[in-house]
Amino acid sequence: MRYCEKCNVSVTGQLLQCPLCQGPLTGEADREGNVFPEIPLTGNPFWLIVRLLLFGTIVVCTVCIAVNVIFPERGWWSLLVGAGLCSGWITVGLAIRKRGKPLKAILWLVCVGSVIIFLWDYCTGLIGWSIDFVLPILYTCTMIAIFVIARLMHRRIQDYLVYLILNILLGLIPLILLLTGAVHTVYPSLVCVVVSVIYLSALILFAGNALKEEWIRRMHL
Amino acid sequence: MKTIRTPRWSRLDNAAKIFPSNSSKADSKVFRFFCELKEQVEPDLLQSALDRTMEQFPFYQAVMKQGLFWYYFEDSDLKARVSQESRPPCLPLYDAERRSLLFRVLYFGRRINLEIYHALTDGTGALQFLCTLVYYYLLQRHGEDFAGSMPELNYDASQSQKWDDSFQKYYEKPEEKPSVSRIPWKRKAYHLRGERMPEKRIAVVEGRMSLQALLACSRERGVTLTEFLTAVLICSIHEGMRLREQSRPVVITVPVNLRGYFPSESVRNFFATINVTYDFSRQEDSLEAVSAYVRQSFRENLTQENLRQRMNTLCALEHNIPMRIVPLPVKDPVLRGANYVSNRQVTASFSNVGRVTMPAEMQRYIHLFGVFSSPNKLQASACSFLDHYVVSFAGPYCSHDVERVFFRTMTQLGLDVVITTNVSYGEAEV
Repeated sequence: MRYCEKCNVSVTGQLLQCPLCQGPLTGEADREGNVFPEIPLTGNPFWLIVRLLLFGTIVVCTVCIAVNVIFPERGWWSLLVGAGLCSGWITVGLAIRKRGKPLKAILWLVCVGSVIIFLWDYCTGLIGWSIDFVLPILYTCTMIAIFVIARLMHRRIQDYLVYLILNILLGLIPLILLLTGAVHTVYPSLVCVVVSVIYLSALILFAGNALKEEWIRRMHL
Repeated sequence: MKTIRTPRWSRLDNAAKIFPSNSSKADSKVFRFFCELKEQVEPDLLQSALDRTMEQFPFYQAVMKQGLFWYYFEDSDLKARVSQESRPPCLPLYDAERRSLLFRVLYFGRRINLEIYHALTDGTGALQFLCTLVYYYLLQRHGEDFAGSMPELNYDASQSQKWDDSFQKYYEKPEEKPSVSRIPWKRKAYHLRGERMPEKRIAVVEGRMSLQALLACSRERGVTLTEFLTAVLICSIHEGMRLREQSRPVVITVPVNLRGYFPSESVRNFFATINVTYDFSRQEDSLEAVSAYVRQSFRENLTQENLRQRMNTLCALEHNIPMRIVPLPVKDPVLRGANYVSNRQVTASFSNVGRVTMPAEMQRYIHLFGVFSSPNKLQASACSFLDHYVVSFAGPYCSHDVERVFFRTMTQLGLDVVITTNVSYGEAEV
C-alpha cells in the first residue's frame, strides 16, 4: 500500500498522487487490483451528429428565407421549407427520445403526428386529405401495430394497455367527424371506427379486470 | 392462452414521493452499498445468488410508472442481471423513457456493489438486500465449509411485514392544520464551491479506520460516534470557509432511521432527517465546543415525540386534499421547488448506517462493507463491519479539501486511515 507522508494516510490502488493533498505517494503500489474501474472520459458521438444536422437545418432555413426575400414573386415558399424541417425534427426527435419504450413512442408519435398532419392540411388550404385519409389510416395501423409489437416483445397486457386504450380513443375521433359530416370520403374513417369499436369491446370483454386495475393504478390519489 | 394476472402494485411511501420529481443526471438519488470480499468475485455465482435473493425480495422486482396524480411501483417481469462495473458510480436508475428495475448489482475486482434508487428503499432495506445477496454468494462459493452447520440470516419478517409502509402505520392526523408555512423557513446555509467533476460524475473518497479506536475517541469526549464524526465534519468544512462566509451557518443534515424509534420490519423507506446548524460567527470553533453543541442538538431533536411530530407534518402534507388532486405534471415542479428550498438550507450531510452483521461463519471471507450516495452536495456516509469503520465522502467537486481536513484530523487523533478513491491523479501504474 502507498503512503502519503503529509496526510499520514495509506492509499490503496495504484495512484501516484495523494487524493487528499495531491502530494507524492511513497511505497509499493497495491498489486491486489483496484476496486473501482478506470473510466475514460468519452464524448458522445451521437450528439455531434445531432449538432451537425441541426446546424445544416439552420443554414438551409436561413438561405431559403434570404433567397425568398430576393425573389418574392412565387409567394412565401420558404415558410413551407421551414415548417417541413420543423415537423421533421419534432417527429424524429420524439422517436429518438422515446426509443427506450417503443410502444409509448408509437402513441406519442401518433398524437403529435396527428396535430402536425392536421396543421399542414389546414394551413395549406384544408382540402381535407388529413381527416379523410391520413389520420383514420394512421390510427387503424397503429392500433394493430401496438398489439402486434407488444405480442412480439412478449409484453404483458398491463405493460401496453394504457397505450392501446388511448390509441382506441383516438380511433373514435373519426366517428365524431363522420357524424358531423366533416368527412367526404367515408371508407377509411368507417374502417377505423369499426376496428376501434371491435378492439374496445374485445378489451372490455376479455381484459376487463386488467382494464379496471390499470384504471385504479393510474388514477390513484 | 396466457391468463391475465393482475400485477401487484403499490404507492410510493411518504419519504419516497419527493425523489422521482427531483432525480436528474446530476443528482440521481441513487446510493450504493458495497461489500468487499477477500477474493475476486465470481460473476456466475453472483448471478445465481441474485436470483435466490430476488425470491426473498419480490417487491424489488418493481418498475416505477407515472399515474395521473402520483408515481407508483408496479411488479415487472424484468430479470435482474449482474454486470461488471464499467461506468461511473450511481448513474440514474429511473428514466421515464426506459423500462428498468430500480436497482443494479455490479461487481468489480473484490467488490460486490448494489446501487438502489432511493424511492424504492432506504439504507436499512438496501443493506438487508445486500447482506442476503452476499450470504447466498458465500453459501455457494464456500459451500463445503458450511456443510456441517448452515449459517443463518436473522431477518425474521413476513413478505407483507417487509413491504409494509411504516409511515402510514404510524401516521396520526395532527390536530392543527398543517401548512407549508409551518415548515421552518430558515436562512441560506453555507455552500461548498469549486469546480465540478466532468460529465456530472461523482468523486468518492473512502477512509477506513478502526471502529474501536474511533469509539474510544468519541467516548473520551462524552459523545456518540455519530455526534463525534458530525462535529469533525463541521470543523472540516469550517477550515475552508472564507471569513466573510462565516455569517452563513454550516448545516449538516443527518438521516435518522425511524425503525429505532417505531418498531418496523419494513424494507421500504422509513427515515427522517434532522439538521444540525452551527454558526461560526457566533459560536466557538474548537472541536470540543462543536462536539458539545452537536451532542446537545442531537439530544433535543432525537426524541420519539419530536420525530413523530416531524413525520406527521410530512405525512399530513401528503394527505392534504389539494396536494393530492393536483395532476403529476404540476406536482413535479412544485416538489422540485420544495427540494430547492430545503437544499439551500443544507451544507452537507452525514449518514451513519451503523453496524453491518453477517453470520459468524461467513465473517472471515468479508473484508468490509461501505456505503455512499449520489449527491448534489458533499455527502458523507459510514458503516462498520467488525472493526472496519468506513467513512465515504461522495461529492460533485474536483477538490477534496473537506475530506483532507477530516482525515488529517483523524490521523492527528492517532487513528490509522486507509484511503480508497475512484478518482485518479496522474497516470496509474500499469
